[in-house]
Amino acid sequence: MRVLRIGQLGVTTHRRTFAVGMLLLLVLVGLLLFALVVGKADVTVWDAVRAALGIQVGAPADFIVGQVRAPRALTAILVGAMLGLSGAVLQSLTRNPLASPDFIGITMGAGTGAVLTLWLIAASSLWITAAGAAAGALLTSALILVLAWRRVIVPLRLILAGIGVGFVAQATTQYLLTRMDVHDAGNALGWLVGSTTGRTWTHVAFAAAVLVVLVPVLLGFARALRTMEMGDDTAQALGVSVGRSRAVLAVCSVLLAAAATAVTGPIGFIALVAPALALRTTRSAGVALLPSALMGAALLLTADQASQLMPQDLQFPVGIFTAAVGAPYLLWLVWRASRGGPS
Amino acid sequence: MRQRALIAIAAAAALVVAVALSLALGSRPIDLGTVWNALVDLDPEDPEQLIVRELRASRTLIGVLAGAALGVAGALMQSLTRNPFADPGLLGINAGASLAVVIALTAGLGGGFAAQVPIAFVGAGIAAVVVYAIGARGAAAGAPVRLALAGVALTALITSVTYAVLLVDDATLEQYRLWVAGSLTGRQSEDVTALVPIVLVAIAVALLASRQLQAVALGEDAARALGIRIGGIRTLTIVIVTLLAASATAAAGPLVFVGLAVPHLARALVGASLPWLLIVSALGGAALVLVCDIVGRVIAPPSEIGVGITTALIGGLIFALMARRMKVVEL
Repeated sequence: MRVLRIGQLGVTTHRRTFAVGMLLLLVLVGLLLFALVVGKADVTVWDAVRAALGIQVGAPADFIVGQVRAPRALTAILVGAMLGLSGAVLQSLTRNPLASPDFIGITMGAGTGAVLTLWLIAASSLWITAAGAAAGALLTSALILVLAWRRVIVPLRLILAGIGVGFVAQATTQYLLTRMDVHDAGNALGWLVGSTTGRTWTHVAFAAAVLVVLVPVLLGFARALRTMEMGDDTAQALGVSVGRSRAVLAVCSVLLAAAATAVTGPIGFIALVAPALALRTTRSAGVALLPSALMGAALLLTADQASQLMPQDLQFPVGIFTAAVGAPYLLWLVWRASRGGPS
Repeated sequence: MRQRALIAIAAAAALVVAVALSLALGSRPIDLGTVWNALVDLDPEDPEQLIVRELRASRTLIGVLAGAALGVAGALMQSLTRNPFADPGLLGINAGASLAVVIALTAGLGGGFAAQVPIAFVGAGIAAVVVYAIGARGAAAGAPVRLALAGVALTALITSVTYAVLLVDDATLEQYRLWVAGSLTGRQSEDVTALVPIVLVAIAVALLASRQLQAVALGEDAARALGIRIGGIRTLTIVIVTLLAASATAAAGPLVFVGLAVPHLARALVGASLPWLLIVSALGGAALVLVCDIVGRVIAPPSEIGVGITTALIGGLIFALMARRMKVVEL
């Protein structure tokens, strides 16, 4: 246990959590350099870093790194962090390691909202799609909460209601796909798979803005979240206002998932896997928010790089890649739980 | 016994009404007298009779076939896994069939319907074995949430692979997006008649084996004491479920929640007796799919909404309401 102090602010942290966090940060920087440098065009490390910072170093680095690789890598990092945080909060709130916004309907709702805007307003600007995704996510979340609410919210019931609502949202998306002409449907499908290609600095700025607003709120409620893991009564007794904290945290989690979906389309399994890996590596007793964010960023950037390094025929969008790796992990979790181990 | 028979008769009556409506309603409503004539005494000059005979009859047959197959498959899976959330759509079995069909379409194999059916069987079979092995055995057998999540995970995996194939191939996307919305109109009637014997035989075998399966559902020890070969019954059930789910998917596209909602309602009416549950589920499933199809036909004229979408909309809400009604200990 140690205390980090910056002026008046102090954060207590376990030594191991701190070490893991630093290590993840180092890994992330290494991955970022790798993402900036490695590719078809040869760029030196020094040029790549300067180009990413916006300094003119001449062709090809100015365009390839400054306009293509850097925004793409940063998008992956920021979206990964959002998904990691969103999953960590949701898993802690529902006290279920299998909960994740991509399975309980929130991401599907965001997808429906975004496809609806693609259908209604054919010219797709990021902001309109983002607004559609956010509206869809919030609407489905509200519907899930209403359906799961019976005096109190039982987390398991929330998950099941979410699965049902998710299917409704998915059916709506599929209906919209049949109504589009095939070219638009192809575009929408490409978006529905989840991809980081072609993301620009606008996307990075949007993601960064969302994080800048929501992360301080989450950190402010982190203690309440950790206390609520001990049970609502205990938390109440320790002076946490359970209802208010839960509402704020749930809304933050939904917004993070919605914003991430708006930027890249629904990317599955990061929100599920990142918090679990963060818990396992830090051996933290309670929810580990910042390590989850770093882990999510590192995982998504790794998956993005891996998907680019695949041979030409197998270059799929990163969303397919995370599903191919993440789904077996989830199945393994379920299988292990069914053998009577800790879930 | 008498009460159950009455309920079965009521379900059959509901199915007859649904069939009549399915033949009569659509973008051009046709009165029941003309429908009757078209079926028993066809006048080839009358365009209305031709609509009934050529278009609506095959569509209705597909709906009945898919609905009955999914109702029975759902009831069997729920007994096998002792889990109220078991449904071939929810657990990814239909998605497995879809993926196999998409791969075949892309590879140029699945041009004809006859080639798609065995391929769908293979895909559904693999998915069924995987999800059963993972989510339905051991300590998790009693935990509905786990099985549901295992199904969702498997569906997510299969769907993303399906999307990966579709992204590469626009022509397949064009066929797939109509098929996945679950339409009863895309298939030729002579293609589908080939599925009728498969579904009928599978349902008949399920009825014959239902007493044994019910004993297995009571508990392995009890079943063993009754002299039942547990492994054999389980394998047989999985094979039947696969055949039924794949037939329904091949005929009507992947439909979710029919196999979930229908047996659930049927159980509320006839209790736990598996033979009666299967009969009522078959009748009720057929009626539900037809009703969903009719709703999709008349809700937004002149265009139609695929039955896959109407069933998911209606079924998803039923599922969420079921979750709401369950007691905490049951989860």
